[in-house]
Amino acid sequence: MPLLTVTDLTKDFGGLRAVSHLSFDAEPGEILGLIGPNGAGKTTVFNLVTGFLRPTAGRILLAGRSVVGLRPHAITRRGIARTFQVVKPFPKLSVRENVTLAAFCHEAARRRAETLAAQVLERVGLQDKLDSRAADLTLGEQKRLEIARALATDPRLLLLDEPMGGLNPREVNAACVLVEQIRADGVSVILVEHVMKAIMRISNRIVVIHHGEKIADGPPGRVVNDPGVIAAYLGTRVV
Amino acid sequence: MTRGSAGAAVLVLVLAPPLLTSNPFLLHLTITVLLWTLLGAAWNLLGGFAGQVSFGHSTFFGVGAYTTMILYLKGGLAPWYGMVLGGMVAVLVSLPIGLICFRLRGPYFSLSTLAVAEIVRLVALNWEGLTNGPVGLLITTLPRVGWGGRTLDWESKAPFYYMIAVLALASMLATYRLSRARLGAYLLAIREDEDAAESVGIDTVRAKVLTLALSAFFTGLGGGFYGLYFRYVDPDAVFPIALSVEMVFIAVVGGLATVIGPVIGAVFLTTIGEMFRERFLVGHLIFYGLFMMLVIRYLPEGIWGGARRAWAKRP
Amino acid sequence: MALRARPDPVDTFVQSVVSGVLTGSLYAMIGVGLTVVFGVMRIINLAHGELVMLGMYGAFWAHALWKLDPFVSIALWAPLMFLGGMLVYRLLLRPIIPGGELNTLLYTAGLSLLIANLALFAWTGDYRTIKLPYAITPLRPFGIAVPIPLAIAFALAIVITAALYLFLSRTDPGRAIRATSQNPEAAALMGIDVERISMLTFGLGSALAGVAGVLLAPSLYLYPTVGEILIAKCFVIVVLGGLGSVSGAIAGGVLLGLVESLGAVYVSVAYKDTIGFIMFLLVLLFRPSGLFGVGKS
Repeated sequence: MPLLTVTDLTKDFGGLRAVSHLSFDAEPGEILGLIGPNGAGKTTVFNLVTGFLRPTAGRILLAGRSVVGLRPHAITRRGIARTFQVVKPFPKLSVRENVTLAAFCHEAARRRAETLAAQVLERVGLQDKLDSRAADLTLGEQKRLEIARALATDPRLLLLDEPMGGLNPREVNAACVLVEQIRADGVSVILVEHVMKAIMRISNRIVVIHHGEKIADGPPGRVVNDPGVIAAYLGTRVV
Repeated sequence: MTRGSAGAAVLVLVLAPPLLTSNPFLLHLTITVLLWTLLGAAWNLLGGFAGQVSFGHSTFFGVGAYTTMILYLKGGLAPWYGMVLGGMVAVLVSLPIGLICFRLRGPYFSLSTLAVAEIVRLVALNWEGLTNGPVGLLITTLPRVGWGGRTLDWESKAPFYYMIAVLALASMLATYRLSRARLGAYLLAIREDEDAAESVGIDTVRAKVLTLALSAFFTGLGGGFYGLYFRYVDPDAVFPIALSVEMVFIAVVGGLATVIGPVIGAVFLTTIGEMFRERFLVGHLIFYGLFMMLVIRYLPEGIWGGARRAWAKRP
Repeated sequence: MALRARPDPVDTFVQSVVSGVLTGSLYAMIGVGLTVVFGVMRIINLAHGELVMLGMYGAFWAHALWKLDPFVSIALWAPLMFLGGMLVYRLLLRPIIPGGELNTLLYTAGLSLLIANLALFAWTGDYRTIKLPYAITPLRPFGIAVPIPLAIAFALAIVITAALYLFLSRTDPGRAIRATSQNPEAAALMGIDVERISMLTFGLGSALAGVAGVLLAPSLYLYPTVGEILIAKCFVIVVLGGLGSVSGAIAGGVLLGLVESLGAVYVSVAYKDTIGFIMFLLVLLFRPSGLFGVGKS
C-alpha cells in the first residue's frame, strides 16, 4: 500500500484555484520529486498535507488513514514531518534545544530526548555546533538543522521544501547524500526542489505540477522527455 | 550556595519583615511589592515564556477581586477561600477569552485582549445588580479568625503580609517549575516561531490555553487579595487598562521569562511609585512609561536578564 | 412643530444613522492614520490614541488662550503634528523597529503611558469642553438634529479624506507610500528611499490623528486618558477593515460609528461602547480574516 495517497486534492483561495484535482501517491522507501514552475502550487500541497491549510476538496491518506482536518502537530505525531522553504529555526535557542524540542514528540523524558537529538544532529553533521545559537548558523547549517529537527520527530514521511536553495555545489552534493541516507534509513521523502540536477539524480519518481494540476508522473528519465513538461516548464531538455 | 540553602535564605528574607518592624507604612510598601511580584510573575508565564503579550490581564484581576468581594458580602464566604475561588473563576473566564484571542498572533492578540478588558470593565461599570456599578463594593469587617490561641489582628498589616508573601512565593515557584518542565520549553518554542513549533509536534493551542489558565489563576488570586486587603473595589480600581500595562511593565523591566525578574520589576515600580506619590501625588505613571521605553531600547532582556548576561560574561 | 405622543420611529432611526455616520467619519480618520503607518512600517503604534488626544487638547488650548476657532486651528496643528510625528519616528522609533514587532509594541505602549500621564500631570484630569457660540442650536435638515460642530467636522473629514486619496494616488510621494506598503524590498529596488517614506508616513499618520482630535474636540468631553479607549476602538476599526487598507479603515470607522449609534438607541446607552467591542470579538470568532477579507498576521 502506498505510504501517502493524495486523491483529487483541491484548494481554492477565494477565486483563485491553487491546487486542482491533484492525485498522486508516495510509496514507502522512495524519494518522490515534486517539481513545477514557481507558483505551481508545490508549497501549497505541502501545507495541505501537513495540516497548515485545509483542502477545499479531496482526500489525503497516510497509510490508509485520513489526515484531513488534523492540526499540524497531530499530523507530525502520525509520522509526517516537514521543512520550510524559508528556514524557520527557533533563532534564540541553541541547536541542541531546537532538536530536543522535536525529540519530545515521541520521547517524553528530557535526558532521552536530548540523547536522541544529539544522535540526529550527528547524522546531519552538526555535532560540533550543539551549543551554538540557531540564529548564528550559516544558511547551509540552518537547513541541516531544520532537517535534523524534522527527523527527530521520527517520521515515516519527510517533506523537504527546497532544501538546496541557496547552497553552493559542494553543499548541494552533501545534501543529496544526506537525503539518500535518509531514504536508506527507511524514511520516505517527498522533495520539492528547483536544483534540477539534484532532484533528477536522487528521485525514484517525479511528479510535475503546473497551475495546480499534475501534468506528469513517472521516472525522471521519462518525465524529462515528456513534451507537456518540456513545454510548460523546462524549456530545453535537461540531461 | 546550594539550592536548598538559597531557598532557605529566600524564605527567611521574605518572612522576616513583619518580625523586624511594625511600621505600617513599611509593611504596606512590602505588601505592595509582593502583590506586584505576584501579578508580574503571573503575567510573565504567558507574556514572557509564551511570548503572548496580553494587555488585558486586568480582566482576571478584577474578576478575582469581585468574586472574592461578592462571595463574602453576599454569601458570607471568608475572603481567603473567596480568593481561591476568585482565581478559579478567573480561569473559567480565561477559556473563552483564549478561544477568541488566540486566533490572532502577535500584536493582534495583544490588542484583542485590550478589547476584551474594555468590555469587561464596561460591563462591571454598568451591571449594577451584580457589581454595584461605579459605587463599588466595601468590606467593613473581616471575619474573626483564631490562630494559635489568639485572634488575628486585622488592624495590623502582619496577617496580610504573610498571606501575600505565600502567594507571591507560590507564583515564583510555579514559574520555576514551569521553566524546568517540558511545557516551559514548548512555550519558548512557541515564542520563537509558532508554526515551526506546531510542525515539530507541539500542540500550541493546548500549551497556550494551559498557560493562560495558570496565568489567570494567579492574577485572580492577586485580585482577591487586593479586595481583602484594601477592602474596597470599584471598576476603575480593578479593571483599568493601566493596571494591565503595569503588569506588563513589571515583567518587561524586571526580565521576561525569568523567576527573579518580576521581583525586581515590582521593587522598581513600587519605589518609583512611592517616590512620586510623595512629591507630586500623581505622575509616577510618567516614569513607568519612560522606563519601559528605556528598557526596551537599551536593555531588552530587562534588568535581571541584563544582569545575568553581564554575570556570565565576567572575566 | 406639532407635539407628538412618541417620536416617529423612522425619524429616530434616521437620526441615529446620521449621528452614526457623522461620528463614524471621525473614527475613520483616526483609523486611517493608524492603518497607513502599519501598511508602510508594519508597526502598530499604541500611542496613536494619545496623538488624537494631543490634537484635542491643542484645539482646546488654542480656543481657551487665543480664542481660535478649533476648525481654524487645524492650520496650526496639522503641520506641527506632522513635524512632531516625523521627529518621533526618527528619534524614538527607528532604533527600536529592528528589535521586532513585540518590542515595538511594548515601546509604543510605554510611549502612550508617558504622553497620557504627562498630559494628566500638566492639564489635570478635569473634563474639559469647548463651548462654541454656534454650537448651541443644531441644524435641522429634514427635521434631523445635526449639531453644527459635528457637521463641520464631517465636511472637513470628507475633504481631508478626499485630499488623502488624491495624495496617495496622484502624487509621487503618495505612490511611493503605497508601493512601500505593498512590498518594501521591491520599493527599495525601485529607488524609493524607504527610510524617508517611513518617516513621512509616520508624520502623515500623526497629522491625521491630530486633526481627527481637533475635529472631535468640540463634540466630546476631553480628558487626558481618552487615548485608552480610542486606541481600542481604533484597533477594532482597522482590523475590521483590514490592516493597511485605507478604504477598509474608512468603512470600518463608519461601521463602528453606526453600530454604536444604533446600539445606543436600540440596545442601551450605557453599553454603547461595549457593543462595538462585542461586534469585533464576534467577527474574530466567526470571520477571523476580518469583515472585508484581509488576513490576520
